[in-house]
Amino acid sequence: MKASRARLVSVDGVDASAVIAAARRAIDRPGRGGVSHWDASGIFQDLCVADAAAGAPSARTLLLLYAADLAFRLRWEIRPALAAGRTVVAAPYVDTAVAFGRAAGVPVGWLTNLFRFAPPAAERRFVTATRGAASGEGFVGLASQRVHGCDRGARRRLIGSAAAHLRIEAKRRARRPKR
Amino acid sequence: MPTSAAALGAARRSARAHFTDPARKRGLLVAFEGPDGSGKTTQRKLFKTWLKSEGYDVVTTKWNSSDLIKPIIKSRKAVRALSPEEFSLLHGADFRHRVEQIILPALWEGKLVIADRFLFTGLARDVARGLDLDWVLKLYQPLLWPDLVFYFAVSPITSGKRVTATRMPNFYEAGQDVTDVDDPVESYQRFIARVIREYESLALIFNMITVDAEQSIGDQHRQIRELFLAGQRRPWSAWNIDAVAEWLAGRGAAR
Repeated sequence: MKASRARLVSVDGVDASAVIAAARRAIDRPGRGGVSHWDASGIFQDLCVADAAAGAPSARTLLLLYAADLAFRLRWEIRPALAAGRTVVAAPYVDTAVAFGRAAGVPVGWLTNLFRFAPPAAERRFVTATRGAASGEGFVGLASQRVHGCDRGARRRLIGSAAAHLRIEAKRRARRPKR
Repeated sequence: MPTSAAALGAARRSARAHFTDPARKRGLLVAFEGPDGSGKTTQRKLFKTWLKSEGYDVVTTKWNSSDLIKPIIKSRKAVRALSPEEFSLLHGADFRHRVEQIILPALWEGKLVIADRFLFTGLARDVARGLDLDWVLKLYQPLLWPDLVFYFAVSPITSGKRVTATRMPNFYEAGQDVTDVDDPVESYQRFIARVIREYESLALIFNMITVDAEQSIGDQHRQIRELFLAGQRRPWSAWNIDAVAEWLAGRGAAR
């Protein structure tokens, strides 16, 4: 019997362009896998066209939307590909959202519960670049803009803090002995 | 958004001082809960008219009505594209946004907020869809507890009769995403029985005031007035400190 090649790899980081580039590199053999991108559901695209009068969403609201998008990606992209025995690179996955939440002061327990529905990745990779997020790209960039509006200093601090949380998580993972 | 423990601590002190100040008119939150067809919207409207005649400054908020999230949910419901998790998370986001943009600002200003459905609607429907109560409840943290929750109790048969008398239940209202029943009316009957079962448990757990919604409209309205007058003098619930403090700290960070 042939062993299944089904494998979920997560690539997380605050810089969306760097995360996408790293995700492409993570697929070892083209045709054997695919990348699941953020906002495949179009929720954040819809959010961007919403009237400003609706009020700025909080970090928690944005994280609930991120989780809804991730549930969509799991249902339509990630789980079907794994069931077909393929490699899926989720870029970003759970760690990016958790890092943003922690940077925004959202309790860890709430974040852990929120993403309880997401299966753990077999391999977790981290991208430490931050440039793309500062220009508003990707979830962390957009979410920071939404929460802090025109206050560039506050946005940069939030992005920097999220990146720091990811670096700590990456180091923690690296120190853990491999099975 | 809470930016630091210090900001959150200051916000907690401010929230406690604001809501327990005897010289200040305290905001009140009253929630109307119950299955479709229980008549709660009729009662909510009558209650609001009466409160206004009594001089209360009233704000109403309805389930799934945030200007930011409602369009996102509506477009996905239209194409029947939501799984139970997505349904739950999007409604949780809508609720959170309304708590921060409508409910807490109004309570802070001493207004009376009537919520036509509250987080219990999310809990009852999501659990009826097979999701875990603990997971769903935590999505709504930090929890904001109403001063009074009226639960309009009807049987699944009454709910079904009232809803289908004027219209066909829609796909998600009928729970067709989880019942696998093609006929919306039959699906509704099955689904609403599950929802009512969950509501009844929640009404007990969360100490809701049960109103027999099989009574006449006038009798129910009189009962609600009496219960409100007896219940509005309750002290501010310290359980709400986290929700208020996080909102206050977020306002500070957004400025």
